[in-house]
Amino acid sequence: MNEKVVAMLLAGGQGSRLKSLTYDIAKPAIPYGGKYRIIDFPLSNCTNSGISTVGVLTQYQPHALHRYIGLGTPWDLDRHQGGVTMLPPYAEIDGIKWYAGTASAIYQNINFLSSCEPDYVLILSGDHIYKMDYEKLVEYHKEKQADVTVSVLEVPWEEASRFGIVNTDEDMNIVEFDEKPEKPKSNLASMGVYVFDWKKLEHYLEEDNSNEESSHDFGKDILPKMLSEQKKMVAYPFKGYWKDVGTVDSLWEANMDLLDPSAGLVLHDPAWRIYSSNPQLPPQVITETGRVQGSMVNEGCVISGTVRHSVIFQNVLVEKEAVVEDSVVMSGTKIGRGAHLNRVIVPPDITIPENYRLLEPAEGITLLTQDLVDSWKESGQQ
Amino acid sequence: MTLMAAVDASVKVAGLQDLTIHRSVSSIPFAGRYRLIDFALSNIVNADINSVGIFASQPFGSLIDHIGVGKSWDLDRRKEGLFFLPTSHQNGGIATVGSFHDFEEHIQFFEKSRQTHVVVTSSFVVGQLDYKEMLAHHLASGKDITEAVGAGGSLKSYILSRRLMLELIRSYRQKRILSIEDLVNLKKAPYSYGIYEYKGYFAIIDSIQQYFKESLGLLDENNRRLLFLPKEPIYTKVKDEPPTRYLDGSKVSNSMMANGSTILGKVKNSIVSRAVTVGINASLDSCIIMQKCTIEENCELAYVIADKEVYIEKGVKLIGTADRPIVLRKGERVTKEDSQ
Repeated sequence: MNEKVVAMLLAGGQGSRLKSLTYDIAKPAIPYGGKYRIIDFPLSNCTNSGISTVGVLTQYQPHALHRYIGLGTPWDLDRHQGGVTMLPPYAEIDGIKWYAGTASAIYQNINFLSSCEPDYVLILSGDHIYKMDYEKLVEYHKEKQADVTVSVLEVPWEEASRFGIVNTDEDMNIVEFDEKPEKPKSNLASMGVYVFDWKKLEHYLEEDNSNEESSHDFGKDILPKMLSEQKKMVAYPFKGYWKDVGTVDSLWEANMDLLDPSAGLVLHDPAWRIYSSNPQLPPQVITETGRVQGSMVNEGCVISGTVRHSVIFQNVLVEKEAVVEDSVVMSGTKIGRGAHLNRVIVPPDITIPENYRLLEPAEGITLLTQDLVDSWKESGQQ
Repeated sequence: MTLMAAVDASVKVAGLQDLTIHRSVSSIPFAGRYRLIDFALSNIVNADINSVGIFASQPFGSLIDHIGVGKSWDLDRRKEGLFFLPTSHQNGGIATVGSFHDFEEHIQFFEKSRQTHVVVTSSFVVGQLDYKEMLAHHLASGKDITEAVGAGGSLKSYILSRRLMLELIRSYRQKRILSIEDLVNLKKAPYSYGIYEYKGYFAIIDSIQQYFKESLGLLDENNRRLLFLPKEPIYTKVKDEPPTRYLDGSKVSNSMMANGSTILGKVKNSIVSRAVTVGINASLDSCIIMQKCTIEENCELAYVIADKEVYIEKGVKLIGTADRPIVLRKGERVTKEDSQ
């Protein structure tokens, strides 16, 4: 790319439906896939797409994210020119300006963007799991001579009413935005990935900021406004795996997708690596009594029990006669002898007592918190 | 009293030839995800030593690739840090650790340092030596040179003052000694020699048999517990491999597995490095498989050491013994015809 592309990664989301997993970290920092955090995906996409200037906008519980991203070294974003810049809300003469919406978050950092002198600005979400070549998206945007390009994904028709649907003509020009429509006219869902011409974006952000009735959101305010003014808006059809992880169930599903070759998300791809901060741990050990089937296991684990169809993060101990099935076990957890876990997500650093069983097996996926473990102990079932 | 470190990555170890055609002994892969030098370097940085010279002889491409600027060991420092000090030797230097010839070629490394003492170490000993404790022992003993000794042998690590080191570098020819190891073994006057007793786990990798035995020795939980200490991590170059996948129908037991591998077959009593594929119905018993190897379906391997990027085609059967494991050289391709 000769022209300069700057990526702005929105990473301030709370993700309250993920319960205790996001009490003290923002949603993009949630562990995923045995060793990653969700934000590794958009960050690695930037690196692999040749985008080396990335602003990360944080707001909710930013410390873990700031610490995790650091200078951006794992993603090759520790650069003399550009690199990663963390952009939390800040105070100025007029007071502290919290990010009210996605557009206001970008607007508050308009000085940062100006100083980068971009030709195009890529707006990304820090909490989506997908592998995407943004270079192709920007090329498409240029080819179409669009003012803004919205990346869209075909979703199953029966699920279309859960998404922000984009209606287009046959040339992929956007004719309508339909937020969670009852009767969708198309099954093209917006992925929350946009490319703007910088000058256009700057204009619309400033205009939006002075509009007191605006909720300062790209999907609700900026894009509809541009459409009403007949700007050239096109949809870019993305093909591939994409998941917005909003709930405990969908986080579990996204992990299980890694165990299903037909789901379409391949991590074992040297040409499109997902980079992350790697702790220094010894290799995993499957002991004489350990049995692992249809699973992914990370470094530092010692598996002496049975693990079936599960994703096991680093430094997990599964003791003899313990059984872990259809589960996600996050780092540093110890699963005691004879414990049985089925369809659970275990948060980091939990000790599951010997012979543990779920008291009330839930219909969906159980987030196996310390509270649940404590109440099991109090129930005297062991 | 403060330490600097000189790592001898140039020493010649005759018994490891099949694994050192393209690399020095110091960069032989070990324990699934490490290179031999990682253990010496990690011991050094875990003792807060941050002035480290690596004395290396050709071929050192693989070692440079591994070490880089020392970032993985936190040795990419403004002040001091890592010094890569190539020697004029080809294919390894002398056969004892701490060659004065090599040190002489880079005498400024010792002259310019602000540290008071030097630890000289080899790069083929695996362990958890505590150099802080060894220095304290050395100082208390009042001896000129202290050697670390474990059950059954020398760990080939030595502490002496920087002043004495410089004196030895300037006079080794006249004294007719080749190296620190040589000096300590000969107990040359007028120096005094002490011993620091090391009680932890260690392994000396100086032959294929030792390499094989000590690699599989890590399947013993006690050894692992002594080598992989949570507070004294062994650092290595970071590779962004995903977690290892164990597919339905695979069967792995009593094995150490690095990340990025895909296992469809059977693996037991083995060490499997990064990004290895083990095909359906393939079976490995007591094997050491280095990174990026492919073992196709229906292979049967026992007592095999496969160096990096070895490709074993369908149906190959290779059975070595514990005393004489079969060694497949880096990049070798083995067909069914070859193995019959």
